[in-house]
Amino acid sequence: METLDIELPRMALLYGLCLLPWIMLRLIGLRLSRDIGISILRMSIQLALVGIYLKMLFDLNHPWLNGLWILVMLLVADLSILRRAGLKARYFVLATFMAIASSILFSTAYLVILVIQPTHFYDARYIVPLAGMILGNCLQGNVIALERFYSTLRKNENEYATFLMLGATRWEAVRPYFRDAVKAALNPTIAGMATMGLVSLPGMMTGQILGGSEPWLAVKYQIAIMICIFTSTTIACIINLKLSLNIAFNTFDVLRDEVIDKP
Amino acid sequence: MSPIIRFDHVSVIVHEKTILSDISFTLFLGEKAVLSGKSGSGKSSILKTLLGLHSIKQGTVYFQEQPLTPVSVQAIRSCTAYIGQEPMLGAESVREALLLPFQFKTHRNHRPTEAQLIDVLQRLHLPADILRQESNRISGGEKQRIALARGLLLGKKLYLLDEITSALDAESKQVVFDVFTDPHLTVLSVAHDPEWLERCGIVFELEAGRLTQVKGNGNT
Repeated sequence: METLDIELPRMALLYGLCLLPWIMLRLIGLRLSRDIGISILRMSIQLALVGIYLKMLFDLNHPWLNGLWILVMLLVADLSILRRAGLKARYFVLATFMAIASSILFSTAYLVILVIQPTHFYDARYIVPLAGMILGNCLQGNVIALERFYSTLRKNENEYATFLMLGATRWEAVRPYFRDAVKAALNPTIAGMATMGLVSLPGMMTGQILGGSEPWLAVKYQIAIMICIFTSTTIACIINLKLSLNIAFNTFDVLRDEVIDKP
Repeated sequence: MSPIIRFDHVSVIVHEKTILSDISFTLFLGEKAVLSGKSGSGKSSILKTLLGLHSIKQGTVYFQEQPLTPVSVQAIRSCTAYIGQEPMLGAESVREALLLPFQFKTHRNHRPTEAQLIDVLQRLHLPADILRQESNRISGGEKQRIALARGLLLGKKLYLLDEITSALDAESKQVVFDVFTDPHLTVLSVAHDPEWLERCGIVFELEAGRLTQVKGNGNT
């Protein structure tokens, strides 16, 4: 079963669909033309580039090249997590990299080598999209975990200091905020698993079905990816927060002001 | 007798602003001292500096003649109770708040008995059934007395009191005064309350981060 191609004229027709929301937004007086234009343009260019990259990656299918691509994804994710969490990359870049790299490599390797078992474990068709999907979700979780942890800690500075005064070690004093941050980071994934298939058909499954896979096979891959996302998000958030504790505090257990990126 | 607290030419800068400059004083075991001055004069900063919450730019803080370092700060914190205007109880119920420090490794083996809890509450004129109340439902004055009770249960010897009398009624204030007549307890406080100032043996006057005057009331 082949997926039907969308030829160029019909791609133009597709872009034409955007005219409808554009007109409606103008009618209600929302001037978003610039933002919408830039977003659609960026999406198109970025995806075109990814298309060229992936085509090349799949054709060559070289283990080092695939590894390099994953490394680039990890680095971009690393910087993006820190920027969105409001922490200075200068201090945390290594800690976050170690956390996401170890968790992504572990769960992707587990899935590809032990579960899927392709002829070559480095097969770009498997590792690139799977690692990318796991990483994308892991990124969201880590942004929430770091942002939540450091903002709650700053908001509850007095409570934290009270815990220290009552004899808590740094770890004992931050533990309530630590648990809260991990919970907030995992909630979307846990809730997502619970409603999977009921509310909407998950993206990867839809893609596979459109690509011609049997629904049963698509279901199994969807389950696989969800379990890996859950596992790697949990591992990455905990390691990331734990490592950040050694960086974000001074030797007197006080949160260092300079590590936080003030808006 | 060696001093319990000694500030030796201490200056503190926070966010590029000098909040304490060249502060020197000593406090001996059992003394009751009060820091007095306008708001922003650095009174609370002295308490926080002693607890290692501000980094020291110049000079040295000594606690029992040991300089304040990342290692010794643990000892200072474990001997000290800090009680603010609206103390953080850090737990849902009053009972949990009183028992909170005993979850931490250092105090885990010293959990007080029910009788000790009731006893300390009575000492502070608090009814036993306050244990069942929610921490955020009790008044500011009660919170301060619970925080004080927690310090007493932990056997703390040094009390840093930041404006605690402002939330206390006359009776509670008397109770707190009575607790601190104990000659083993050392107090370094921040207050405006004339009655409190009068009760403290030593008054340190602060102005814009500088210690301008030390008055001894001579009744310690």
